[in-house]
Amino acid sequence: MARKSLKLKVYGWMISLSFIIYHLSFSMACSHAPKSLARMGRLPEIYPDYIGVTIPADIAPLNFNVKDDAFDCVEVVAFGSKGGEIRTKGKWADFDIDEWHELTRQNQGGKITFTVRVERDGHWAQYDDFEVFVSNDRLDEWGLTYRRIKPGYEVGGDIGIYQRELSTFDEYAILAETVVPGRCFNCHTANRTNPNRITLQMRGEGGGTMVQKDGKQTWVETKTDSTKAAGSYSYWHPQGDYVAMAVNSVHQSFFTGTGQRIEVYHKFSNVEVLDTRTNELILSPLLQTDDLEIFPAFSHDGKWLYYSTSKPCRVPAEYEKVKCSLCRIAFDTEKGAFGEVVDTLLNGPATDKSYVLARPSYDGRWLMYCVSSRGNFPVCQDDADLWLMDLKTGESRELKEINSLQTESYHNWSDNSRWFIFASKREDGMYTKLYLASIDAKGKVSKPFLLPQRNPRKYYLEMMDAYNVPDFTKTKVELDAHEAYRQVFENKRENVKIR
Amino acid sequence: MMKALTKYGNMALSVFVGIGMFLFWYLIYPHALSYQEQYQLFLLTWDYFIERISLPGGLADWLSEFIVQFYYVEWLGALLLALLFVALQRLTARLLPQSLVLLSLLPVIMLWWLMGDINVLLSLPVAIVIALALACIQLSKPLSWTDIIILPIAYWLLGPVILLYVLIRVIQLGWKHLWSAGWLLAVQLMVYAWLLPQWPLQQALTGLNYYRIPLYYPQLSGYDKEMYELIRMDYLVRNERWDDIVKRAGEYQVCTPFWSNCVNLALSQKRLLADRMFDFYQSGEDALIMPRTRDLTSMLPSAEAFWRLGMVNSAQRYMFDTQESILNGRKSGRCTKRIAECMIVNGHYQTAQKQLNLLKKTLFYRSWAEDVEAMMKDENQINTHPVYGRLRQLRYKENFLYSYEEMDKMLGLLLMNNTENKMALDYFLGQLLLKGDIRGFQQYLGLAQQHGGYRQMPLGYQDVMRCIQAQGNVPGSPFAEYAKRHFVPK
Repeated sequence: MARKSLKLKVYGWMISLSFIIYHLSFSMACSHAPKSLARMGRLPEIYPDYIGVTIPADIAPLNFNVKDDAFDCVEVVAFGSKGGEIRTKGKWADFDIDEWHELTRQNQGGKITFTVRVERDGHWAQYDDFEVFVSNDRLDEWGLTYRRIKPGYEVGGDIGIYQRELSTFDEYAILAETVVPGRCFNCHTANRTNPNRITLQMRGEGGGTMVQKDGKQTWVETKTDSTKAAGSYSYWHPQGDYVAMAVNSVHQSFFTGTGQRIEVYHKFSNVEVLDTRTNELILSPLLQTDDLEIFPAFSHDGKWLYYSTSKPCRVPAEYEKVKCSLCRIAFDTEKGAFGEVVDTLLNGPATDKSYVLARPSYDGRWLMYCVSSRGNFPVCQDDADLWLMDLKTGESRELKEINSLQTESYHNWSDNSRWFIFASKREDGMYTKLYLASIDAKGKVSKPFLLPQRNPRKYYLEMMDAYNVPDFTKTKVELDAHEAYRQVFENKRENVKIR
Repeated sequence: MMKALTKYGNMALSVFVGIGMFLFWYLIYPHALSYQEQYQLFLLTWDYFIERISLPGGLADWLSEFIVQFYYVEWLGALLLALLFVALQRLTARLLPQSLVLLSLLPVIMLWWLMGDINVLLSLPVAIVIALALACIQLSKPLSWTDIIILPIAYWLLGPVILLYVLIRVIQLGWKHLWSAGWLLAVQLMVYAWLLPQWPLQQALTGLNYYRIPLYYPQLSGYDKEMYELIRMDYLVRNERWDDIVKRAGEYQVCTPFWSNCVNLALSQKRLLADRMFDFYQSGEDALIMPRTRDLTSMLPSAEAFWRLGMVNSAQRYMFDTQESILNGRKSGRCTKRIAECMIVNGHYQTAQKQLNLLKKTLFYRSWAEDVEAMMKDENQINTHPVYGRLRQLRYKENFLYSYEEMDKMLGLLLMNNTENKMALDYFLGQLLLKGDIRGFQQYLGLAQQHGGYRQMPLGYQDVMRCIQAQGNVPGSPFAEYAKRHFVPK
């Protein structure tokens, strides 16, 4: 018996020792100071591509991997134009969070220069330096909210709504599949990034619309005898009592070719507004037509409701004919009533394009939207790009600075309207990832940067989810998931009435 | 003398359990092992371990997945299961008085019966065995206060099954020890309130990972013959044992579309579909390809058929949705592998790489993933690969929207796309017959002659033609029987 335990002890020590030797050997290999340096004469190829991007001062460290990993060690020195210097050494550039923030805050309005050296077989080589600009514009939001979902087809699987602190790498579940198994949920929307007003929609059995105001959850059934379905694709009125929603039936068809996989279409769609004080629906005949009104969004002052509309087609057969125009209609906050005229801002059929997902900036200056060759669900359109309309002049331009050959969609603004987040499939055409970019007072947009992660290559390579519906959140979202579970399974809903 | 008898009796029971269990799983129900293995993807990584043990019952879950990965090699899986059951028997025997050692078979039989429910995960038996082992260790330490510390830790590692340990301790130490049950409940409630914000109370109390379907519980239904027959068919499809499927289909049939799908796929792979399709039960228009169904099994044979037909996108879709229908959120090695293959055939190498990276972290899919990864670096190798290269020739050249309702047209277009695609030819004509489109069948029968490579008209088609000529009055005709069941108004 004693012999046995001695043996176990020896094994234990051997295992511990081998771990220590492994780690020591790696850190020693990485600890040699470069004696001689060969110049590579080119910029490093890094993942994510952070070269020349503009960042807010409080963003999490821009950790990166050197793409060519046939080296033993990478050393990165980051020094600010206004002072400060930090360094990191290891298998990838992994900066200390506090040191990073000290550097970025010190260099707000300046730039940070990165020197990257790599070691192969004891020989060090140095790439050309690259720069990252630290914006003067603050990004005051605590973090981001988004849904993570497998980029599949008709089964949602293990989906969840999450939030991520922007200044760190910490992610928290807001509502995960585990607490409401087998349910599909989405359309989580806060009011102007403020989570004291949130809605989200749950489909299927026990489905409904959750409205959370100041921490109190209410679950309502937004389908009535006069409306065809429950509300979705919601957007809060800035005053905080009205929520605009689209009422529709969403479907998918699948391609046989090797390009775009899925065509998403709606068989009908109308727009309505829910008054969350009285649980009344506000309808307008102009938004309850046979056309498909979709993706509503209130203007910054709440006086206008933007939305897209397309003529009804025989979908899926005529999927190529779905061309959305971008429109707006007046909204009287006091009376809770719509205007009687619809303005068409961008005419889809006339330009043979589809304009969807209007997102006005919160300062009233810009309108960002998706442009694709067809359809009203841009995240599934390969050619969907982001465009920007100057609401002062009505002029639009493509945001070539941020678009790629793949899909760009699901954009949202920060509260000060100097930053925006969007989802893009640029890396592989399938797994949507989140990018941030800044925009200045003149509408100049910076090169976007991928949401930072502790070890980005490992993280994104292993990430089997796609991100969608990202938004900024001013503070951490507090949602009682246990209460959501009770509400879903008790299935008691407050019915809404038509005003 | 009595002691020796008991000792050898116990030993004999263990040998009996070990051999019995091994033979059961290896010879009679190897398909059940394959079924369990295909709904998890055990990653040999530190991250995966941390992910598992970050929930109550996580260690049992991790250990069970570790064992289940060996089901990939049937004899090894059966052996490990047999050893687990032997451990269960021996630990029970140790806790029982020597005179009652025969009763140690009872939990073995009960658990074996419970595992007939295909959604019972191995984490349940693993947790039970560890809980019993803990009770055995504690036998020598009657100190009751140690449970204040042991219970929270054991609950976290094994889950609520630790209640079994509590019960044994109560029996051992008397009713005064009942406080430990209260303590366990308190621990569970605290864990629910503070550490499980995204889990329902029901699961915190009854287990997060003993059963594949959340909020449902095991049924004491045993080994349902028909269900296990379907699982066997799927297992044979997975292993491309076409002859065995045809042979088995002649012995036992389960009247479901799933069964028809498996049999028809096997017949097509043996080029017997045109001859013998209606010799077997045909469920209807869904007998060749099933519509999308939201569960983790139904779409598998259709996905396999899509893959072999060259309908690569549909194979990928069915596999993807199958994987996402695994309600405990696990990946599937089988599905991930096929999804990667579909992506490779379509030239989507970056997304394929993601799938391969996962497979490279497993024990049994790693070498395949590494081989394929190396192949992806050379487009020529993919084009000349016997399967991938061929599928690139067979897949649709035109881009249009898939329509299940027009499956016959989909198959016809696939054939026109490449007339060498004999499986598409057989499926096309088969689909016309299944939906009762006799005119269409007659119109396109010439294609069988032209592209089928048959020396004579297949027997099945001859039978159909006889039925057409005799307006269905052909005694003993398999197609006439099918038509009577499906097209004659009752």
